[in-house]
Amino acid sequence: MILRKAKGIQIDCYKQMSKESPLHEHLNPQFVYIPLIQQTTALKRTVEVGDDILIGQVVALREGFGAMPIHASVSGKVSAIKKVWHCSGKMVDAIEIKNDLLQRMDDSIQPEADTTHFTREELIEKMKQAGLSGLGGAGFPTYVKYQTKLPIDVVIINAVECEPYLTCDYMLINAYPEKLLKGLHYFMRAANANRGVVTFKSYNTHVKEVLQPLLVNYPGIELKEIKDIYPAGWEKYVVQQVTGKTYEGLPAEAGVIVDNSATAMVYADVVEKNIPLISRVITITGEGVKNPRNYYVPFGTPVKELIQLSGGYTEGLDPAKAWYIAGGPMTGRAILIDDLIVSDTLGAVIVKPMPEDKTHPECLGCGKCADVCPVFLTPTEIKRAYETKDVELIKKLNAQKCMACGLCSYVCPSHIEITDFVGKAKDLLRKGA
Amino acid sequence: MARFANGKAPFLRTSDAKNSGTGVIMRDFMIGLLPVILFAWYKNGIKVFIEGNITFLEMLYPLIFILLGGVLSTLFEGLYFYITDKNVRNFKTLGQKLKVSYAVIPGLLLAMVVPMYTPIWVLMFGAFMGTIVGKMLFGGFGNNIFNPALLGYVAIGFTMLGVIGNAGGVFNASEVLIDAYGGATPLGTLAGTKVIDYDTLVAPYGSLWNFLLGTIPGALAETGSLAIIIAYIWLSIRKVIKWFTPLVYIGTVFILSWFIGMAAGDAGIWFPVYSILSGGLMFGAVFMATEPVTTPRNPLGKVVFALFLGVLTVLFRYIGNLPEGVGTAIIVMNIFTLPIDKMTAIIRAQGIKKSTIFSALGLAAFLLILMVYAIIKAGNVYSAFITFVPFIKGVF
Repeated sequence: MILRKAKGIQIDCYKQMSKESPLHEHLNPQFVYIPLIQQTTALKRTVEVGDDILIGQVVALREGFGAMPIHASVSGKVSAIKKVWHCSGKMVDAIEIKNDLLQRMDDSIQPEADTTHFTREELIEKMKQAGLSGLGGAGFPTYVKYQTKLPIDVVIINAVECEPYLTCDYMLINAYPEKLLKGLHYFMRAANANRGVVTFKSYNTHVKEVLQPLLVNYPGIELKEIKDIYPAGWEKYVVQQVTGKTYEGLPAEAGVIVDNSATAMVYADVVEKNIPLISRVITITGEGVKNPRNYYVPFGTPVKELIQLSGGYTEGLDPAKAWYIAGGPMTGRAILIDDLIVSDTLGAVIVKPMPEDKTHPECLGCGKCADVCPVFLTPTEIKRAYETKDVELIKKLNAQKCMACGLCSYVCPSHIEITDFVGKAKDLLRKGA
Repeated sequence: MARFANGKAPFLRTSDAKNSGTGVIMRDFMIGLLPVILFAWYKNGIKVFIEGNITFLEMLYPLIFILLGGVLSTLFEGLYFYITDKNVRNFKTLGQKLKVSYAVIPGLLLAMVVPMYTPIWVLMFGAFMGTIVGKMLFGGFGNNIFNPALLGYVAIGFTMLGVIGNAGGVFNASEVLIDAYGGATPLGTLAGTKVIDYDTLVAPYGSLWNFLLGTIPGALAETGSLAIIIAYIWLSIRKVIKWFTPLVYIGTVFILSWFIGMAAGDAGIWFPVYSILSGGLMFGAVFMATEPVTTPRNPLGKVVFALFLGVLTVLFRYIGNLPEGVGTAIIVMNIFTLPIDKMTAIIRAQGIKKSTIFSALGLAAFLLILMVYAIIKAGNVYSAFITFVPFIKGVF
């Protein structure tokens, strides 16, 4: 249709480089730094410098909306409170724990003999106590989604991973396929849903091969292939592909809860072994890293260690002419100092030499940005409205619907920072309203 | 610890690839122009040379003339940059700047739509008006409101028509010999005779096939409909232009002309075909109405834009006092690009609502009234000799 066309486009994926070597475990860094921030909420610290810490012990609390505890990822001593670079691009306070390498567990970490008797409320309470939050990138507290009063028919596992370069979800599923189905099974029970769907991208046939034989033990769970386009991992797109329904605010309006695959796998451990959310898989990749690969690490691990394990930066890499990107290349953030720590929403670090400088023309007016926009905005008009500071017009142009997928800048032949302009327009709207 | 570069997401851009962005659009556009330029050369040079009407050097003239147009506008723009910007006073940066502002295109297009044997100084004047006044004074590429080539064309058309006529004639050597009122263009014939009649309008030029091939009198490159159609297909496939803009534009003219033919008493399909194949319609629809900077950006806007172009072209052609209306129609609609963009962007973002339905109905009604007016008025003008409404004539 001329008015509202095309959802997403195919883009280069660059995933092969980090798929080649297997998932690497790096469980004992010398120090970990637990950042005192979750999403944009500052956390309340509950331990002091010098305290003895066990794995799984509560070290901080998120209060207010989405209140939940945050746990230690290694055992040892709190050695300092330090400022560290967080993947949000800010410096934040963090609890430095010196690892004693003994892996002493908190008493709460006990395997459950029988998980069949848990009620819905108990399952949701377990999410909360484990500090479970979305590992896909938004970091939204999982239990809040399951507390919905709306009836839920389907739980969808989003393993689409449409960002280029990233393979952390893919590698984790291939390593522990059964865990994913277990996690989804518990999610379905926590939502009172009969149907569970694992969505994956069409070229990831391996995911299908490892999951298909296991499905017999998990009634109600099915697989769903998603077209290889960007942004196929967008929640609204996934829900629309699986159920055919659309919604305005939350997926629950369409009777759906969507969770990232890594979150589901952590949840399997939460229910069966009472291990809280303390670790994740992160992809260290990019043309600027010698041996790109995926690491399974406790939260708070310095990324520097992982890059060293990957053989360091490639020879001749000039940091001043390279990007150090936290997150995927489409929505991630350039970090200026390579002193990042692993936290719940950090799926990847990409080191990528900058492309050569070219002279680019002014906006051609080709309209490609409008063509590709998955939420049917016209970015050029929003840019124009932003430049004249016309808040009323920005509102009419629905700038607030932009999810910063980055496609408009991606396709722009004139190399205009059009995504950034729409972002600024959104900020203006927030301030103006 | 190392300090890395700053940047903004997304960190992947299609424009960073070696073979993409500006260079490719430019290259594809040039390839699209190629069949049209070659045809213009064939029709005005090679063919006439074979017929033995001109010398070898004169045969090369059309090609040189078109290329000269491109050179002129590049020169003007380079000169402008050189004078106004201290930073580009060396060859390399100047060249880059001219490349990313597509300096060569306005002059090239201008030379293709003016008549053969237009004096060089008139072409210079047109290139100057188009490039300096139409483009650079508005802030350069991307900020111009009017299509630079067309602005040059209109400037020439309004001031220099007599000069062109006196300077050795409008038509090429063999066109003068065509047995159609001393070599008038088809639209000129229509304006002169005011009769819608196959024998008057088409027969003197051979058949409608000649209209398609382009071997009829007219400006340098605009008659080669077939070459333009090839260019259209190429540019659409390469996504340099949106495929539907020319279609909507030409389709509107086709349907309206058909109705006008009917109103004037001849319902033959030859008339709408004649209408879309003569004059600068094909050329304008493919190369001018799709020019990205001066036409609406989003698809709905392009459709509205093209619809209005169709109606205005018909109005200017059949009711105005110039034989052709394409250039004027596009220049007029260029003015409305900004508001069309704004309105269609809002509709796109908000979806179809009650208020949008009302304004769409209003717009449709306005278009419809314009169309009906054009049909009745033109039908009246062109039915001077053929019975307008046979039934009433019969009663009296």
